[in-house]
Amino acid sequence: MTTVETPTTEAAPETTLERGYVGLDYPRKEDRRLLQGQGVFVDDIKRWGMGYVHFVRSPYAHAKILSIDVSKALAVKGVYGTLTGDEVALQTDPFFQIASEPGAHVRDYALAVGKARYVGDPVAAVVAETRELARDAAELVEVEYEPLPAIVDARRALDEDAPILHEECGGNLAWQGTYEWGDLDAAFAEADHIVRISELHFDRFNSTPLELDGALVEYNRGTGQWTLHCNNQFPGFAIIMMGPALRVGLDKLRFVTQDIGGGFGNKITSHPQLVACCLLARKLNRPIQWTEWRTEFHQSMSHGNERWFQDIEVAVKADGTLLGFRCKALDDAGAYLRYEPLGGVIWSQVTPGMYRWRNIRVDFTQVMTNKAPVSPNRGYSRMQHLWLTERIIDIVAHELGFDPIEIRKRNYIQPEDMPYETPNGCVYDSGDYPRALDLALELIGYDQLEERRRDAESRGRLLGFGIGSTLDSGTNNFGQSQLINPDLQFSGNNEVATVKLDILGEIVVTLGTTPQGQGHETTAAQVVADILGCSPDDVTVRAGHDTYWNSHAGFSGTYASQFAVTGLGAVKGATEELARQMRVLASMVFGCSPDDIELVDKHARIKGNPEAALPFQALGAIVNAGNAGFPEDPPPLNARYVFRPKFEVPDKERKFGNLTLTYAMQIHACVVEVDPETGYYEVVDYAAVDDCGSRVNPKIVEGQVMGATAHALGAAIWESFVYDDEGNLLTPNFYDYHVPHALDMPPLRTGALESPSPFTPLGTKGMGEGGGAGIHAVCAALQDALRSRGGAIVSDSHNPYHRVWAMLRDPDATRANVEVVSK
Amino acid sequence: MIVKGTKELPASREVVWGVINEPSEMAKLMPGVESFEVTDDRHWTAKVKVPLGLGGLKMTIDFERLEERELEFASMRAKGKGVGALMDMTTSFTLSEAGDGKTSMDWEADVKIAGPVGSMGQRVLQPIVNQQVSQVLEALEKRVTEASASS
Repeated sequence: MTTVETPTTEAAPETTLERGYVGLDYPRKEDRRLLQGQGVFVDDIKRWGMGYVHFVRSPYAHAKILSIDVSKALAVKGVYGTLTGDEVALQTDPFFQIASEPGAHVRDYALAVGKARYVGDPVAAVVAETRELARDAAELVEVEYEPLPAIVDARRALDEDAPILHEECGGNLAWQGTYEWGDLDAAFAEADHIVRISELHFDRFNSTPLELDGALVEYNRGTGQWTLHCNNQFPGFAIIMMGPALRVGLDKLRFVTQDIGGGFGNKITSHPQLVACCLLARKLNRPIQWTEWRTEFHQSMSHGNERWFQDIEVAVKADGTLLGFRCKALDDAGAYLRYEPLGGVIWSQVTPGMYRWRNIRVDFTQVMTNKAPVSPNRGYSRMQHLWLTERIIDIVAHELGFDPIEIRKRNYIQPEDMPYETPNGCVYDSGDYPRALDLALELIGYDQLEERRRDAESRGRLLGFGIGSTLDSGTNNFGQSQLINPDLQFSGNNEVATVKLDILGEIVVTLGTTPQGQGHETTAAQVVADILGCSPDDVTVRAGHDTYWNSHAGFSGTYASQFAVTGLGAVKGATEELARQMRVLASMVFGCSPDDIELVDKHARIKGNPEAALPFQALGAIVNAGNAGFPEDPPPLNARYVFRPKFEVPDKERKFGNLTLTYAMQIHACVVEVDPETGYYEVVDYAAVDDCGSRVNPKIVEGQVMGATAHALGAAIWESFVYDDEGNLLTPNFYDYHVPHALDMPPLRTGALESPSPFTPLGTKGMGEGGGAGIHAVCAALQDALRSRGGAIVSDSHNPYHRVWAMLRDPDATRANVEVVSK
Repeated sequence: MIVKGTKELPASREVVWGVINEPSEMAKLMPGVESFEVTDDRHWTAKVKVPLGLGGLKMTIDFERLEERELEFASMRAKGKGVGALMDMTTSFTLSEAGDGKTSMDWEADVKIAGPVGSMGQRVLQPIVNQQVSQVLEALEKRVTEASASS
């Protein structure tokens, strides 16, 4: 069931685009080819003579590499060649590090050099004529290791006797910074209650793209250029990592993508493997095909950030007004800093969550451990922090006897506060959080909750209800990177689109983005159709990304909730320019003013005179094939537009500034039933309300909301990367790492509000990363369900059945985590 | 994974020492040994089959004597390799008189198992290690009893 409300907001923007196709559930243009099996994913791309690569991976979490002998592998018929860390160290430079000291000293290569630092760290690669042969031959590579003690628990990583991953860093500290805004002392002096929480833990998991990482890499010896057919979702980032490492200019790297089977941020940091493929393509003079195996993905790619929150103190007034909080955040980056320590600042896009508290201090520390490196994962870094703020709300309510709904409404930023400047200078663009919560309550039937609770009790079950409210901050200001490393030169954001009218009237759009299922071809076509006066079916949006199209900029890619703003902003800009050119050309033909021309039904015609009309085909033919005799140059009917949000570089001293352009919002509400004997529980009802501003295609939005919800439930209940003390990953495949499928999903009701963003060309906001709300909704529902059985406090984001059983058995142990001091 | 314990054996330290310090004797005590080869007096190799799921896990294990103090202490390192598993174990024995002609043996082993088998984790591997250790100790007790009777 879907419910939609469009609130009237005083901050409603004036968008220049009248709604026609925009706002409709237009069928996805991509689906025809995808549903017919005609999509082209990276593993579908073949080349004559290509070799398949398989990576030899460390079985140890921490070990010196004493020697690597590839001779037995090379002796196998059909094996084309190998690559070792020593070769990589000779032929490349370490990847550029985002971190300031001490993380800046990490020396990270495409293959492990000298030491392996996590189970799955690639130490060598074998290329053979078949994928299976490469894997078998990899077994013949003899690597002599000297195992070293491993550090697995981030809380011990800075101990004096902790094993050190990167000796050149002098320890395991990656980055450390203090964030403080407002007046903490005054807030705690004013507070009537201080709630202390010793420790909360946000668990390690990631998303599960159906398609694994992969590439087909070709090297052209004549031009010295590599072509990478791949599924990396942020070529703009990969290329600046890879070029300097390979000691070449960025002009030597051509990225090509078409269909990508899910990304979720996990496909941002595949640059080490891509560099290895580049070296092998050059060394062996043949195309190199790499498709990851599922266990490799689980073991070595892109885990989400695990984070501990410690020594949390919350200042609360007697009426439930929240004044502020302070805490330590300890982030576990894993073995290498592939995108980190950006997580150390990204969270501050949503510093206060959805609440009005103005006094906040977070002492943020990021450490390295002998676990897989982390990278962005749907809701990157904000999800952890928003889960903290939500946990604080529910624990405060639980301990001080407030209704979780009322305390939220009391402390939510109100619609009349919008646009709202947060304590650290971010600007929440629009939204009506209390109204969204009411809608969620309505969808889930909150007024019948007590009746349902009694019914559950009669069946021997404990019923619990919980809320998760989060923000999906989108369109990054990359200037925030300077808050963690003042020497970095990144700032702002950009995205590109080109739109042209071709010789037979074809409207062709090229994007800089790398869609992974978000429906860019459809939504871009809807925007173009409304501007040009045609149907989305008349618009061809090139599938995927190609450096050769020249439709990309430094930050091009699909990540961080931004296409509806940056991508479609670029499409709108380019299309409006094309429309202007079409009007100019028609005016030159008709001898009138461009202002007299309108674009309707695939024609450029004189307003009020439908007979005086030129079909688009004629315009395209005139410019491209019949342009002699014009008194002045006709317009090219080919427009390239770079969308650039108006950002300032944040204040580095105060850690203050607008870090993202838009703030979509989610309220998830969840009902669970717990078996008090076993801890087994089921999510029996669920509602998700999303407000991402103006929706270009509501059905696509709803699909993303459903996907994010599935991710949330997986993270809350089933998905966890568990390591033993020696750094072995105990959940390296689907046998132990259960990803929810359709049958695991609860009854799901979705609702939507539309609070248009006043800051974006279409009133849209980036969206799709709101899953963090669901993680908390489950935590809160469990805490509510256990209230009558000792009042356990839920302190972990991941709550498998055995953990719930433990909370039922010993609630006091969980309650020792919380203390209330009342004045 | 560290496993350790104390075992009282019904034989003198000389007898116990003679068994645990003799590779061919120790080979007889290990379950699943399919072949055994002494390289020199400090190194030997065994091919063993560890009961692990269907068919068991075949490993080639290289032993190296690290240190010994006669009748008192011995330590060795064992590095094993099989399909899907690497094992690295350092083990030591400390012998002391227990009275009545008996010997008390404190033993300790630090076992590291890596590779896909390692990812099964202690929940699976610990019972297997415990079972293997238990069988070795039972066989050792039986063997030293026999050796004591014949001496």
